[in-house]
Amino acid sequence: MFSYLIRRVALALLTLLLITFVVYALIRHMPGTPLTADPSMMDPSKQISAEEIDRLNRLYGLDKPWYVAYFHWLENVVQLDLGRSISQNNAPVTKLIAQRVPATLLLSISSLVLTYLLSIPLGLWSTVKSGTPAERTVSTLLYMLYSLPSFVAALFLQILLAVKLGWLPLFGMTSDGYESLSLMGKVWDVSQHAFLPIVCFTYGSLAYYSRFIRANMQEVVRQDYIRTARAKGVPPGQVVWRHAFRNTLIPLLTLIGLTLPSLLSGAVILEQIFTWPGMGRLYFEAIGRRDYDTIMGLTLMFSVLTLLGQLLADILYAVVDPRVTYH
Amino acid sequence: MTNSPNNSTNATDAPPSVGFWGEAWQRFRRRKLAMIALWFVVLLCFTALFAPMIVGTKPIVCKYKGNLYFPCLGYYKNSWENPVFRKDRFRNRYTINLKKKDPESWAVWPLVYQDPYRRVRKGEWKDRQGNPSGTNGAPNRINLFGTNQQGFDVFAQMVHGTQIALSVGFVSMGIAGVIGITIGALAGYLGGWVDTLLSRFIELVMCIPALVLILALVAMLDNVNNFHLMAIVGCTSWTGIARLARAEFMKLKQMEFITAARALGASRWRIMFRYVLRNALAPVLVPITFGIAAAILIESGLSYLGFGASPPNPSWGTLLKSGRSTIQQTWWLIVFPGTAIFLTVLAYNLIGEGLQEATDPRLRQDSH
Repeated sequence: MFSYLIRRVALALLTLLLITFVVYALIRHMPGTPLTADPSMMDPSKQISAEEIDRLNRLYGLDKPWYVAYFHWLENVVQLDLGRSISQNNAPVTKLIAQRVPATLLLSISSLVLTYLLSIPLGLWSTVKSGTPAERTVSTLLYMLYSLPSFVAALFLQILLAVKLGWLPLFGMTSDGYESLSLMGKVWDVSQHAFLPIVCFTYGSLAYYSRFIRANMQEVVRQDYIRTARAKGVPPGQVVWRHAFRNTLIPLLTLIGLTLPSLLSGAVILEQIFTWPGMGRLYFEAIGRRDYDTIMGLTLMFSVLTLLGQLLADILYAVVDPRVTYH
Repeated sequence: MTNSPNNSTNATDAPPSVGFWGEAWQRFRRRKLAMIALWFVVLLCFTALFAPMIVGTKPIVCKYKGNLYFPCLGYYKNSWENPVFRKDRFRNRYTINLKKKDPESWAVWPLVYQDPYRRVRKGEWKDRQGNPSGTNGAPNRINLFGTNQQGFDVFAQMVHGTQIALSVGFVSMGIAGVIGITIGALAGYLGGWVDTLLSRFIELVMCIPALVLILALVAMLDNVNNFHLMAIVGCTSWTGIARLARAEFMKLKQMEFITAARALGASRWRIMFRYVLRNALAPVLVPITFGIAAAILIESGLSYLGFGASPPNPSWGTLLKSGRSTIQQTWWLIVFPGTAIFLTVLAYNLIGEGLQEATDPRLRQDSH
């Protein structure tokens, strides 16, 4: 197990190195630099002279070829310095990311909790009621939800709940005058704003997870030990919960490992639609501004989380299933 | 691919076997939803193919100065429109100019007289008013799905946008399929260091955030067109196919019929692409079908974010984008294209699932 871990981590580090290298090469080849992509530079009165640009390029190391700059960046990262955002007045990238973390976590954690709370009963219910008209209707509906693109759903919900009915705010995370609200008022305000994004984040994975649970359960309930349990008179509820469901937990656990990166990645299109100040939006803005260090910082974070999640899934697999060992 | 060798030397008069694909088709046909989805996609294909004949402002056929012309072909490709109309300065106003320049002329018009690329003005078609612009273009009898802020007809854009949605799906997954199957086949069949190398490569591409890859590639191009998008989407979404193909090839290469082929002296390439691939095709087709749905989503998402093909581009995602900018007033710019995206994605997912259940031998006993 230990040597397996070492090998996996070494491999992950190598992958990380390659990913950051490729992404760095890609973003440095996009036309424009942080100095020229800034919209305020379009204003003729603020335009800086060629010499000034040359000076700034040298200052920020943009005059060097990209591969040299990459190793420079890498050197800083090894010293735990993610660099500074040129277009955001040299703010440290870690600070920029940290600012966006709460907004993204608010959405992703509440949607994750909701997904598990709803999908497990739903999956079990549809196993028990398998084949009845009610179950078929629900399953078909869930399948349709699964195929409904989240940005289309977001726009539809905005039209219905925010524009036509006026029950919820259209976008943003807080209303005007948020600062003057009481604590309860603030919580209420944010939860009103967060409702639609959370729904859009949740329904897709809800449909996916409940189908996933149902599929696993259907495989398990055909096993002999379930028949044995039934034959010896275990109540039906206990058969489902204790005998069957427990044995479907293994694939579910590995899924948790794989959702780790999505906790922090946010969703670019959804956050764009709801003007939600999260990670996805930061990413999108950073690409638009050619903000190299921010893009690299976010890429690094996502890749680390992705690789960590995969590793976690594999380890969890071995922990919960004694039949699985790694050498 | 359907002619599997089924003329066996049976002495008995058993009915000829329909073969793997025939059997799969029979099983697929039994699934009602999958069949509805298939018909829906066929309908979309026809819509895409005949879009200029359904909606347009250029006649399907017209007689002009003694010759027959097909100006509607100009919607497929600019140069297919006969240059005589450019020389005679028609400026796309066929209704008025045909009458004016040749009173003897006649024309067969598309079913709906609207244009996806410009605003239809007053007096162009009999005594119809021009298309409303701004946020006044709610759906009515003339503009079935309303008009956008510039007065372009939404129905026309959606019908012509079908071409983009479908071709993006097919072409990009065609590219992804070729790349994925080739890499997966090499890794799975050859094994050894080739496998290690290619597997790492697949993992690497999987870990690069797809959005960065796509946005960076789009940003590097000056004038993005739909073919660029197809190529980019195709080049970034082959990893799932490759992994599946690799697993299938690894499994199949140990089968007895492969050993037999090797014993007969078939070359490595012949075995890989004639014997193994044929048997690996069905499982690989399933992620390709799901991939088409995903590609359509990526395209409309990119167009929504403003990274799609450069205008004029009647993509469904572009319509959503223009609808989002005036969401308080223009619900029709979101509801109609949004529903179209949803139905198309749903249809491909249903077909993919039907295909999976029809071709997967493990699920065969379970199906009723």
